[in-house]
Amino acid sequence: MLSQTVVKRLKEIVGEKNVVTDKVGLLTYGYDGTLLSGEALGVVSPQTTEQVVEIVKLMNEHNIKLVPRGAGTNESGGTIPSEESVVISFTKMTKIHEIDTENFVAVVEPGVINFDLQVELEKKKFYFPPDPSSFKASTIGGNVGECSGGPKCFKYGVTRDYILGLEVVLPNGKVIQTGGRNFQSEPGYDLTRIIVGAEGTLGLVTKVFVRIIPIPRAKKTMLAIYDKVEDASQTVADIVAAGIIPTTLELMDNLLINTTEDFTHAGIPRDAGAVLIIEVDGYPEDMDGQVKTIGDIAKTIAKEFKVAQSAVEVDQIWTSRRSAFGSVARVRPSYGVNDITVPRSNFPKAIGGVLKVAKDFDVTIGVVAHAGDGNLHPLILFDQRNKEETETVHAAEQALCMMALDLEGTISGEHGIGLVKKKYLDKEFTPAAMEAFRKIKRSFDPTNRFNPGKVIDL
Amino acid sequence: MGVLADVYEMLNTCNKCGGCHTACKTYKLTGSEEMSTRGRIQLIKAVADGKLEPNQEYEDAIMSCLLCGECAVTCPNGVHGNELVMAARRDLKLRKGIKPFAKSFALNTLASPKRLGMGFSLFKGVGKSVLNKIDGLDYFRGIDIRNFPTAKKPFLEQVPEKITVQHPKHKVGFYVGCFLNYSLDQTAHSVVKVLTKNDCEVIIPKDQVCCGLPQYAYGDFETAKRNARITIDTFLDKYSDAEVVLTACASCAAMLRHDYLTLFADEPSYLSKVKLFSEKVVEFSEYMAKIGVDQSKLHNSSPLTITYHDPCHMVRGLKVTKQPRQLLQMIPRVEYKEMFEANRCCGAAGLIQAFYHEVSTDITVQKTQNIKDTNADLVATSCPACMLRLQGGINKAGQKQKVMHVADVIANAYED
Repeated sequence: MLSQTVVKRLKEIVGEKNVVTDKVGLLTYGYDGTLLSGEALGVVSPQTTEQVVEIVKLMNEHNIKLVPRGAGTNESGGTIPSEESVVISFTKMTKIHEIDTENFVAVVEPGVINFDLQVELEKKKFYFPPDPSSFKASTIGGNVGECSGGPKCFKYGVTRDYILGLEVVLPNGKVIQTGGRNFQSEPGYDLTRIIVGAEGTLGLVTKVFVRIIPIPRAKKTMLAIYDKVEDASQTVADIVAAGIIPTTLELMDNLLINTTEDFTHAGIPRDAGAVLIIEVDGYPEDMDGQVKTIGDIAKTIAKEFKVAQSAVEVDQIWTSRRSAFGSVARVRPSYGVNDITVPRSNFPKAIGGVLKVAKDFDVTIGVVAHAGDGNLHPLILFDQRNKEETETVHAAEQALCMMALDLEGTISGEHGIGLVKKKYLDKEFTPAAMEAFRKIKRSFDPTNRFNPGKVIDL
Repeated sequence: MGVLADVYEMLNTCNKCGGCHTACKTYKLTGSEEMSTRGRIQLIKAVADGKLEPNQEYEDAIMSCLLCGECAVTCPNGVHGNELVMAARRDLKLRKGIKPFAKSFALNTLASPKRLGMGFSLFKGVGKSVLNKIDGLDYFRGIDIRNFPTAKKPFLEQVPEKITVQHPKHKVGFYVGCFLNYSLDQTAHSVVKVLTKNDCEVIIPKDQVCCGLPQYAYGDFETAKRNARITIDTFLDKYSDAEVVLTACASCAAMLRHDYLTLFADEPSYLSKVKLFSEKVVEFSEYMAKIGVDQSKLHNSSPLTITYHDPCHMVRGLKVTKQPRQLLQMIPRVEYKEMFEANRCCGAAGLIQAFYHEVSTDITVQKTQNIKDTNADLVATSCPACMLRLQGGINKAGQKQKVMHVADVIANAYED
């Protein structure tokens, strides 16, 4: 429980209706996209950097921890108030300060929804490449916190590659600006890149300078359909080996094809073992050549290869892919998602590894992957109400992580560590590296008040 | 618990991906999670699990849902948030009855023709002159009371029970609905005009009552059923010669066609009759497009730009979107312009505009801006509640567009 004094002060800072302390309100800020939940002491929604500073100072005076939150769509438990803490929600900081198409930069508040930014950018024929599947709901602040990826990452890179600078409120209540609107790297230590992906454990982001680029003049979307998921993974390796970089190279297996077809009716054959969604972009005159090269490679294994003929068809295909996570509750009510990532050349081996885990643990796994990046999302389906089954799932998840590490991969490509993958982090990094992480955390946040218990334990 | 137990699997199918955030206007405009579909679902689940005792905040979360249905279209898992909210409202009704007083009074008034007539009469004559003197009431809760239209006499008292034509090709039963009867009687006349111009004999039963949607939406199934029975029996027994039951109110149409079936799902003996009735229900534009409007009779001398607003019950309830647009474009010299988010709620959402006016006002402001951006002269729509809400919002924003029912626009295009 927060004391009356603290609640009163919070209300003075952000206004009465931007402070939540009732049970109903707290319940709705206790979950995210994972199966975890917690209950915050309170929820406060600032609207300006000054208010954030005031909140941080007040929390420091009363020794209260803060959990930053955007839309709460993450897959790592990063926004769960797992310890006694106040949730600081950025969903009401939604201003787009500036869109500067001459210098390829936009300045936004952290609560701006990725999709809403894209809509504004599109009016000026620009876009922001990082496009996590949750982009219609997730915030730029959340994308920065988790260093989100998305289908376009194969060609364009992840969120980190599009953040030029940040305004950050540090745990001591001081405001710093890292980087800026310039394209070149900044002098001094690269604080921008330390804050991006730090999941709010080092500072609270209150302004984001994002790099924007012109929308490509043309794009082509292709579908390659396979009997077996292993076959699809071979095409991925072949395309990469041929030195081609499509914009996206996405894989969905039979299970996901079916759950997404139920929703989108995109016309992907339900009996296919897997589908690859391949997109290329660039100048109109480059399209045919790229499509032909990719088609030639795919057709050696794929049972069908086609190019989408209309914008509607392309939309349906992407709606399918983006709703993959959301759609699996049609099969079982709960899912555990991984974002293990392996070097591209090891992708076929990783697919084999996932199939083996499914067999060894007798669990249902649906596979969707940013295949071009070697980034896999095996979705283990189960019912959380069944305790025994839940434990098997956790064991299978661990096996998947170990499998990725054995293939020189990582336990997390883009979802962040949060609470869910914290226990595997020291499997990936040496004790010395883990200690370096802790030192960084302590130097920013010596009293461990920003998103405590996430990423690493001190 | 029974009601929530029935929908528990659907509650449990929400895996909190947040995909509905983009669909939910009350969330988008407040940024508050408890005002999102996902938030509401998790709260209902907490109540179903016995982890939360329904309190005022819970009731606000449940009652502030627009029931626009967009979340159901957006959810990759096929979870229908609006149906879950309906179950929660029914559950609340069974637990506590309908509170507070104002809501209960409003619903009872709507259910009774006599009291409803008195209610609408508040907006005319002495009542209106009093209202006009109170400045603060001018835009009471975002509703433009001063310009709220009222029929001098209910439409049903203005017309005979049967309006014949020279060579009748069709016999149409006209379910007028409360708004067209008491407030927008001119629109009801437009409906009759368009029908008769296209060789339809119109049968207008005098003893029709409210369709029951307002009561149904707040969980009062008993009253809703009572009104539903009256409606069904009137049209099927007393006026069985009517080939179709036509209404020009999208909300009434969705209620008559779909929700009656849900409402009587637990009464198999009556359900077959409900099915017969449901199959007869048609919405105005849907019907006119089906029987065909003689385009050669439509005239219009000066260029006119029209945009169309899809009422929630039209686009997601009846899934009718093409027909009204086709009809409008049949009129000579009409330029049709589509607005941004034409299919999203206008903010009226039944009684939401009165009880949760802050959020509904923000929704309307967005809508009126989208209308302005089209540079249209006229906004056509298919629901009287939307018409009143949109015109109020447009007036409040100082814009000039006129809001009309599709039936009015077509009726105006006949020379006499």
